Amino acid sequence: MAKADTVLIVGAGPAGLEAARTVSDLGKRAILVEAKAELGGTPYASYATLTPDLQETEHSMKHMLDAVQNNPAVDVRMNTRIVNSEGELGSFHVSLSRDGTETVEEVGAIVVATGFQHFDPGRETQMYGYYEYDDVITLVDAEKMFKEGKVVRPSTSQPPEKVAFIQCVGSRDRQIGNKYCSKVCCGIASKQSIEIKRMLPNSKVFIFYIDMRMYGFWEDQIYWKAQEEYKVNYIRGIVTEIIKKGDKLLVKGEDTTMGRPMEVLMDLVILSVGMEPSKGTIEMSRIFQIPREEHGFLQVVGGPLNTVSTPVPGIFVAGAAAGPKDIEDSVSMGAAAAAKAVGVLNRLTLQV
Amino acid sequence: MPSDRYGDVALEEKQRLFDEVKADSRYKTYLYGCYECGICVAACPSARFYDFSPRKITQTLAREDVELFYEQLNDDVWNCSQCFSCNRCPRQNSPGGLITIMREVAVKNGLRTTKEALAGYTRIIYKIMTTGTQVSPDMLQEDAFPDWGPQVKQVSENLDVWRRVLPPETLHTTGLSWQVEERTMHELYAIWKMTGTLDMIGELDEGLHDIMEEIMDDALEESGIVSE
Repeated sequence: MAKADTVLIVGAGPAGLEAARTVSDLGKRAILVEAKAELGGTPYASYATLTPDLQETEHSMKHMLDAVQNNPAVDVRMNTRIVNSEGELGSFHVSLSRDGTETVEEVGAIVVATGFQHFDPGRETQMYGYYEYDDVITLVDAEKMFKEGKVVRPSTSQPPEKVAFIQCVGSRDRQIGNKYCSKVCCGIASKQSIEIKRMLPNSKVFIFYIDMRMYGFWEDQIYWKAQEEYKVNYIRGIVTEIIKKGDKLLVKGEDTTMGRPMEVLMDLVILSVGMEPSKGTIEMSRIFQIPREEHGFLQVVGGPLNTVSTPVPGIFVAGAAAGPKDIEDSVSMGAAAAAKAVGVLNRLTLQV
Repeated sequence: MPSDRYGDVALEEKQRLFDEVKADSRYKTYLYGCYECGICVAACPSARFYDFSPRKITQTLAREDVELFYEQLNDDVWNCSQCFSCNRCPRQNSPGGLITIMREVAVKNGLRTTKEALAGYTRIIYKIMTTGTQVSPDMLQEDAFPDWGPQVKQVSENLDVWRRVLPPETLHTTGLSWQVEERTMHELYAIWKMTGTLDMIGELDEGLHDIMEEIMDDALEESGIVSE
């Protein structure tokens, strides 16, 4: 019965790490497969600090990495990809490939936690010029600078005086084909605006938005905080175009609540790029035959009442592979998916 | 972008006035932040009749938009009726309170637009500051209040008699809304002087200031209240 004692977890971001830890806590074995050379997933690789508490990511997530690395019940396979899967609940035969060497593992259930990728701003239908202007960057580019403890204009390496965030880049846009809200970018932009003002107290920071999506505690923890303590300017109205003017960027939009057009010169523009299913998520959909829902993410059954069960028996999904998720959603889903995976294996054992 | 109406005023001057508003000790509890929900405008009686928005005042201060602040300091703050219906703000801002501070700064600095806005109120300021009461019965003349109907003329002709019909003796007045105790009036003068309110009027209307100062100084000297 070894196979029914093992859950395969694909992807070692917050959801996958939590799933692996939970499987082992529930007394089963986990094989945790990660395509990259590092654990922790997108937040760990790309974000200097976490939203909403502004804690350093590596420090905050250390306990999650430790829980799988020093755990005899979790078999961690780095630099490894899934290339094929056969079989069914209780007995999946999954082919893993590492450095061109393939092995086949027999597992009872599977948790897919392959996450999202950031929207490529080259695909946006406005005219923001990400690939044209050095000083137009993304949230991820900004985090790279934060990791080095600085924020500068890439064109001059000097600190910016005026910084603008543009929200919903790649999200909520029928023209692009992404009708959904990416859920975390309002919070991340607000978090980053606080960090910029901490580093450069004399800078002016603007956030151009359509609606601010600051649900739950994020409202006062980061939105009100940014406004009240750091004087961040939230301007309702989305930028239509960025034009280079001298060595500055002319940002054109409408200040809708003031009822006037707006043209402001900026030193640095940060695009709040949203989430799309990662290549790995799309690949897992094909390999495991998991249908994708209408936005392109992995489909779950049960709507809001079952967030982790896919239509394929024995295969579960956790985190942003199932749609835009924040970290707390992802971690909760990781534990829920692990519990359900162990649950079906337990039922199989009882039936024997 | 703000209009170019005040383009000739230096940014430093606008910033100086803005800093004066911000330095007011009430400012911190009158302004937190604004998410532009519009509840203050929905509650505002002035907003129904004027191109006036307590939200925009609050937003402008929260954004620290100095150019727009200066425009509002000149053009908007006197459209508020200071009823404080806007205090229902869910962020606990007080748009009306912010306007109070802005008005005080506008008056203290003798802005031209403030002088213009308050020019018609000279008589009311005089009345309030020297008597403690505002609209007196003898101001109710037919030509001043045609919308009150034909009885205004009738009443104003025998005002003294009509007033003496009223039961409380303190209302047997024509030049005051009611009889004000001399002691109360003197205390009021002392307050106007000691709080700098009288000086504020000096920036606005020197003649009015001098007349009122003379009245107050004479009365206070007689009463001996200042030395108390």
